[in-house]
Amino acid sequence: MNKIVHIKPPQKLLRFFRWFCDPDLVEDLEGDLIELFEERAGSSISRAKTLFIRDILFMFRPGIIKNFEGHKNLNNYGMLKNYLKSAWRNLMKYKGFSTINILSLSIGMAACMVIFLFIKDERSFDAFHEKKDTIYRLCEVQSFPGTNTQNVALSMPGMGPTMTAEFPEIENFTRFRSFGEQLIEVGDQRIMIENISSADSSFLSIFDFPFISGDRNTALNNPYDAIISKETALKLFNQMDVLGETFTINGDQCKITGVIENVPENSHLQFNILLSIRISTQDNPGFDNQFGSNFLNTYFVLNENADLDAMSKRYPDYLSSHIQRDDDINEFYKLFLQPLPDVHLASTDIEHDYNNHRKFNGTYIDIFILIGIFILIIASLNFMNLTTARASNRAKEVGVRKAIGAVKGQLFNQFIVESILLATLALVFAIFLAFISLPLLNNLIDRQFGIVTLFSNLEIVMVIIGATLLLGVLAGLYPSLYLSSFRPVIVLKGFKSYEKKSYFRSSLIVIQFSLALGMIVSTLVVLQQLNFMKNKDIGFGKDHILLVQMRGEAGEKYEQMKQALLGESNILGVTASGQRLGSNFHQWGFKVRKDTGIVSLTPSNVFVDHDYLDVYDIKLLSGRTFSKDFETDDGNAYIINKAFADELGFENPVGKRAAHAWYPDDSLGTIIGVTENFNFNSLHYKVNTLSMVVHTDWGYSEMSIKINGENITQSIQDVERIYNQFVTDYPIRYEFLDDHMQQLYESDQQMGSVITIIAVLSIFIGCMGLFGLASISIQRRIKEVGIRKVMGASTMELLTILSKNFALMILIAFVLATPLTFLFLSGWLDNFAYRIEINPLIFFVGGLLALVIALATISFHVVRAANANPIKSLKYE
Amino acid sequence: MGKETIGEFEEVVMLTVAVLYKEAYGITIKEEMEKHLKRGVNLGAMRIALKRLESKGFLKSEFGEVTAVRGGKRKRYYEVTPQGKKVLEQVMETRKQLWKSIPSVAFDFKFG
Repeated sequence: MNKIVHIKPPQKLLRFFRWFCDPDLVEDLEGDLIELFEERAGSSISRAKTLFIRDILFMFRPGIIKNFEGHKNLNNYGMLKNYLKSAWRNLMKYKGFSTINILSLSIGMAACMVIFLFIKDERSFDAFHEKKDTIYRLCEVQSFPGTNTQNVALSMPGMGPTMTAEFPEIENFTRFRSFGEQLIEVGDQRIMIENISSADSSFLSIFDFPFISGDRNTALNNPYDAIISKETALKLFNQMDVLGETFTINGDQCKITGVIENVPENSHLQFNILLSIRISTQDNPGFDNQFGSNFLNTYFVLNENADLDAMSKRYPDYLSSHIQRDDDINEFYKLFLQPLPDVHLASTDIEHDYNNHRKFNGTYIDIFILIGIFILIIASLNFMNLTTARASNRAKEVGVRKAIGAVKGQLFNQFIVESILLATLALVFAIFLAFISLPLLNNLIDRQFGIVTLFSNLEIVMVIIGATLLLGVLAGLYPSLYLSSFRPVIVLKGFKSYEKKSYFRSSLIVIQFSLALGMIVSTLVVLQQLNFMKNKDIGFGKDHILLVQMRGEAGEKYEQMKQALLGESNILGVTASGQRLGSNFHQWGFKVRKDTGIVSLTPSNVFVDHDYLDVYDIKLLSGRTFSKDFETDDGNAYIINKAFADELGFENPVGKRAAHAWYPDDSLGTIIGVTENFNFNSLHYKVNTLSMVVHTDWGYSEMSIKINGENITQSIQDVERIYNQFVTDYPIRYEFLDDHMQQLYESDQQMGSVITIIAVLSIFIGCMGLFGLASISIQRRIKEVGIRKVMGASTMELLTILSKNFALMILIAFVLATPLTFLFLSGWLDNFAYRIEINPLIFFVGGLLALVIALATISFHVVRAANANPIKSLKYE
Repeated sequence: MGKETIGEFEEVVMLTVAVLYKEAYGITIKEEMEKHLKRGVNLGAMRIALKRLESKGFLKSEFGEVTAVRGGKRKRYYEVTPQGKKVLEQVMETRKQLWKSIPSVAFDFKFG
């Protein structure tokens, strides 16, 4: 046996042991531990210490850990009741501060709830598909000569089947081809239905759109099969039992093989009727092997260990083996796969993204989370600040409690319980606030949030409760430590000696104001950018332009209709085009004769009517516009934009020979004019190269009617009347161009609205805190104010003296917030091809605004104190 | 669920307590067990076993005198109760029965 050495084992560990150990066991177990330690220490002290730690840690197990239930609990319950009671009394006694505390916390919480709902909604996109983690959308990077490089969501019909055959990683594919709005005939009924698409039969096994009737495994197997949404079934047949019923679309008779639930709002793919894609192969047997033209979406299901990088290395070989050209296809196309969750949230850089319902800029989600955290911090800081500042009110209570035996820990617990109580009250109030403000918000940002979502599952409820408790604890931590540290002798004698300047409290105000300032400036910049986009001269007139769809007869009778329309006094111009402004025109091959020979390029292209430039007020830089006086202007004259002219590199492009790619080299047309650059795509993208041409026999898709802005209702009526006079097969469909343009910036606009609301709220919360603090600090200096007044100080002088401190803090906040906000905003603005530069002045405006708001808040108290009769404040000295 | 049953570890603990007779307390039990089992015995695990055996009535314990060593903490001495003895005997009896019932061929191993 080793020599016994008397060395004390680590006392901290022993204390820990005593804390958790069952009191019945503590004595002899401790003895055992010490004995073992002493015995081991005889050979090696450090080893003994290590083993001692191990022994104690192994002791920490049920059977040895003391029972925390029982008599102790009963006692705690009694104290808890007492804490709650005194918290409640205190709450009622200082109603003003309680209101500020709870209200600011609950506004912050309500804002967070709304943000949570918003984020949850955006994140829920496409999440209902069981295979969501293995579904990818095939996208392309197009870099054609003479065009800006574009990411597009489109792919070629042949890609789905051939890639699935050649890439073992791909388990399945489906293609989705959209036909937009179509006329559906059921019996002698003719109804326009939106969102009609076709897809491979595999679509239904890849995406989980729930069936009401029909067999999802076979529903799209035959060329004329169709599935139909519940709502559409009711619209077409007035019932839902429509399996086997038929309807006619574009002369094809289709049979309904399935009825599905309406496609949910949170699906990026939207359709009311889904046809089999074999309706396309029926007319065109080579469809499944068709390359060259991009016009549909392809989705793949990959197996679980697919390596996207490894796959992407094989795309170039794949492309060159399927698309034979003189030049290397890989210079024009790169393929990439986009994971399903990214389709909704990370497609802002993708153009020609036609099937992406309510596409959203996912980076805004991070911004919202950040804002949510900020606003909670501001609200918590209020709470901390006000509670600590009001410490003198509670000092006597602390003193008495301590004098009759409360220890620091108990007092700490008491204040934490109080803080949690306040947070819980704030939660209740926050739910109420969110409830009453949601309808307004839904209206503003076009969502259907409901407060019930917050209680929809236990997990969220737990998170909310947990977050509230945590907030209560965090916000109460500092005040509780501070209050519980009072020494009874000092506080019972009178609190005066404790009243000193608190740098901690001041720094809280600085943080709070930095955040609020950041938000003010961000809001100003975001609004400025949105306003900039709204008002930027996009190079064509978009106001009072009515876009009318042209189908069937409308196309055939365009010329007559145009003449009739122009006869109306309210109609200022009529023109037509193959595509609509605002969502990028398609790129077509184009060739130009240069001195060195024929050069092939791929600019955006649109075919238009002769007077397109006039109706849209597009300015010519050189050359002339299309004219009916020249017969060759129909099909052989091209007007290009400045960007394309620059790309071509001619000193004067007017008169140069050029044409569509498919024209023989010896029969090229002529470039007759160059226009200024105008934004035919949204302002997120740079102006692309463009060529315009007239083709009166190609069939325009849309008529653009410029109407009298003073007489809109009458103008629309005129248009409708004349349309109906000429066209009987399709009912009139129209939309205003500026509404369409507005949609391009919807995501940004909504972001702007939310940020503005929240910035206003956070400033409001910050000011509530300041208001409370100012009132406390002035109350404390009320005698000073009285004396100064008696000595003859004016209200103005008092105001300066009393608000000097606050002004200084705002100044520091300004210095802190400026660089960070600037960095953040620059990053955000980089999302836009056309952006404002941040004017440094805006920081001064923001700072000044904060200062003014803060001083206005403070001066409320100051003026009251300054105007009060000094006798009142000095009476008791 | 018989209250009368004990586990293998508990059996060893009780036997050790019996072996040590008047000297059975924490450390001695642990060391004695380690000697016989030829492996480390965790103090906590052993203590839980002792506590459980005591609550079943197979062991009883009382505090000894205060000593200078072990930080002045008293030792808790353990003793097997008659009831405990009965359980131990029962366990041994069961084992004996089992040994007797083994047919001779079962252990008739051929080597080499």
